[in-house]
Amino acid sequence: MHRTDGDTSEIELLYRQHGPALLLFAQALTGERGRAQDAIHQAFLKLIEKGSLSQVVDKKAYLFACVRNTALNEGKLQNRNAPLDPDAAWFSPADRDYAGEQNLRRALQALPDDQRQVMVLHVWGEMTFSQISDLLDLSSNTVASRYRYALAKLRDSMLAKENSCANS
Amino acid sequence: MPTLDDEHFKAYLKQFRPIVPEPLPAVGPRHRARRTFVLGAWAATAAILVLGALTLHVLTNRAPVTETVGNVGNPEHLQASQPLTMGSANALMARAPSFKAMVDDMAFCSQSVPLPKGKRSAIAVLGKEKIKL
Repeated sequence: MHRTDGDTSEIELLYRQHGPALLLFAQALTGERGRAQDAIHQAFLKLIEKGSLSQVVDKKAYLFACVRNTALNEGKLQNRNAPLDPDAAWFSPADRDYAGEQNLRRALQALPDDQRQVMVLHVWGEMTFSQISDLLDLSSNTVASRYRYALAKLRDSMLAKENSCANS
Repeated sequence: MPTLDDEHFKAYLKQFRPIVPEPLPAVGPRHRARRTFVLGAWAATAAILVLGALTLHVLTNRAPVTETVGNVGNPEHLQASQPLTMGSANALMARAPSFKAMVDDMAFCSQSVPLPKGKRSAIAVLGKEKIKL
């Protein structure tokens, strides 16, 4: 397929639009900032080499699928399950709420992998349950169920952490 | 963090913006480099083709000159374009010191060029005549 400057510009625009959510999703999958960054770079460079995305109906879902496949393939190649990096920030905290960022990050890291993926995709990836079910090859009910569990655990975990900080 | 219902808690979570990834490392420079390489390859190919065509043209034009120069010393070649007629044979005989010398001279003449219509080869005519030596 012939690649044009317009195609490259479109892909770069998509990178700017969805890059942060894709990076967060890749971090949720790989557990490491470096591997997550590599995964989205590889995915986008492949897209640029491949050419146009004009045939793709749901570009955002396609991008998440590309990043997921790249991250999982990379994980298989490296044959390792690195623990989530507890220190690297995942978010830019609003109002310099670094404690809140750390609280949220640790609560997310405490979630099971499948629930963490659904949470990230729905909240920060702004994907519908239907899109997530296509991406993860799950039923929409399963996705919705995982999201509810994850949301409840996250809220409890963050509240518990805040309360423990307040009491200490 | 206040106790929030699902929608409000989701809105609270969205206040935390995911970190922006590093810019794609190779998009600009790599593409420019690749485009430059492609253009350079085309230019080099075009230059080679033009040089090849020029060389071929020069060699083609030089070939007849070389042949001509190489044959300068060959009397057969110089006289091949002049068919031997009765007139030229008489002229040769008038200039030659003897008949034998004239025949010897004519022996170097080539008849490769066809005679014009109505003219005959002097050798053919002389060959039929009985000449007293």
